[in-house]
Amino acid sequence: MLTLQLLINGILLGGLYGIMALGMSLIWGVMNIVNIAHGALIMLGAYLTFWTFTLWGWDPFAALPLTILILFVYGYLLQRLVLNLVVRAQLFLTLLITFGVEVVMVNLARMFWSADLRQVTPAYAGANFSVGGLTIPYVRLWVFVTTVILSVSFLLLLERTRLGRAIRATSEELRAARLTGIPVTHIYAVTFGLGAALAGAAGGLWGMLFPITPIMGGALTLKSFVVAVLGGLGTMMGAIVGGLVLGLAESFSATYLGPTYPNAISFGLVVLILILRPAGILGRRS
Amino acid sequence: MRRIAPALVGLAVVVLVGAAPAVLSPFLVQFLINLFMLAVLAESWNIIGGFTGYASFGNVAFFGVGAYTTGVLLTRTALPFGLALTAGGALAMLFAAVIGMPILRLKGHYFAIATLGVAETMREVVYNLEVTGAGTGLVMPISRSPLPFFYVMLGLLVAATLVNWWLSASRFGYGLVAIREDEDAAAAMGIDTARYKTVAFALSGAFAGLTGGVFAYWITFIDPDAVFRVITTIQMIIMAVFGGMGTVLGPLLGAVVLASVSELLSTQLVALAELFNGFIIILVVLFMPRGLVDVLATRPFSLRRFADNVRAYRI
Repeated sequence: MLTLQLLINGILLGGLYGIMALGMSLIWGVMNIVNIAHGALIMLGAYLTFWTFTLWGWDPFAALPLTILILFVYGYLLQRLVLNLVVRAQLFLTLLITFGVEVVMVNLARMFWSADLRQVTPAYAGANFSVGGLTIPYVRLWVFVTTVILSVSFLLLLERTRLGRAIRATSEELRAARLTGIPVTHIYAVTFGLGAALAGAAGGLWGMLFPITPIMGGALTLKSFVVAVLGGLGTMMGAIVGGLVLGLAESFSATYLGPTYPNAISFGLVVLILILRPAGILGRRS
Repeated sequence: MRRIAPALVGLAVVVLVGAAPAVLSPFLVQFLINLFMLAVLAESWNIIGGFTGYASFGNVAFFGVGAYTTGVLLTRTALPFGLALTAGGALAMLFAAVIGMPILRLKGHYFAIATLGVAETMREVVYNLEVTGAGTGLVMPISRSPLPFFYVMLGLLVAATLVNWWLSASRFGYGLVAIREDEDAAAAMGIDTARYKTVAFALSGAFAGLTGGVFAYWITFIDPDAVFRVITTIQMIIMAVFGGMGTVLGPLLGAVVLASVSELLSTQLVALAELFNGFIIILVVLFMPRGLVDVLATRPFSLRRFADNVRAYRI
């Protein structure tokens, strides 16, 4: 029974990790930028939801579209105006500049919202229901359902639309994409915007389950990276599977090993995967 | 003559700085100790990040191992500071070598994030260990005078700078640069890349560990969050990059400029100083990715160089 409960907890959390990693994997796969500011984008999404909730009394789920829109615009501008200038530089410089963006965002957040722990607690926050001895909190269930809806619509966007085809083409062969008339600078910015929007959505949902602080992003960047690598880079389904794996690993390890090593667990997991299956769980061998 | 002149200038500067505490206010002495610490860290990061081209985002882990080893020995045994510090440096070096063997096989992004993970994991490990005082930290015996710290840090800085100078002009150093420029080609030339990288990482770790040990005793109180700070890693990287990665004096120059500005800003507000660090990272990457040394060494000096740097990598 305990095993089943842990399984459910892990899967419910895994969905959230999945959409975090989806955003990171997209930006990485298309532009070859590992976005260290990804966690900071999640943090921004969380604070936006916190604001609409405390200032205007919006339901956190209802605030998601607004958060997604703001983060999309923010990500679009960030890529177009700043990151685009170094997008072809060596890895170290792109890593470093996103690191700089992270530091700036975290410290601005510290000034705006102070370092206090914040929480988004709608009236139904503590409610749960039981099925055959298993306890399922409503919030976690709805968060999971939302992540499934977001992932599916994102995958459809990427696979079925003209924009999605343009993104995939740019990712595969920059020069050829440009020759066929795809505005690659715009596509890069849209891609970053989509990645940021997913991060923002993840943040908005995260805030309902866990406390929000300006420095929450660091560990989440690490987790997003781990999940993206676990599933296999560039495969969008891989990010989702990786999310579930990490969710399950954390859920079981917290019970059997104690809750004090969450990052060590995810880090150990990724080292293991890099050694055993360098291409990731769903990745193709190159 | 070309080798003697810089050596003499260097010696004169060291003697001058060494005599400085006699005339400086206690506040300025503390500021200089902090400056030396950051400069050693920048120079030590330069060994792995600048010369070898492996962007480590977790060197604070070695700083922490050194700080905690020294701290634990000082509080739980009767060992004198000198021995405790040596043990701290040695353990940090060993840790860097052992952790380096697997993760130096990773490249690019994977290496960078793996080092980030190592630092985060070490913080958690220290948080959970009884001997390190877990989350509450360790209180060192208090030493009365700041002067020993001043001279030990200065000594470390001289040693770190000399090691960087040695790398810039030795077979081993050329090997590291070859690895940075093209690792496969370096291996084809007969360089034992795995050994070279591990030694460079261990050397970098040793200096970070020694600095950490001095830091622990100097600051008298350490806890996991104060020691394993991401901002410490950011500082060492940005100082090395700002001054000029892979050069001998670049990291030192970067530390002097940035630590001074940071100090001025943090008298206003700590968050402001960190914000400044973030903006500096972005601006340096955009406008002078090869660092201040490159800007100063290029003649004639012109602002167009900054514009050229911005145009270099966009699409």
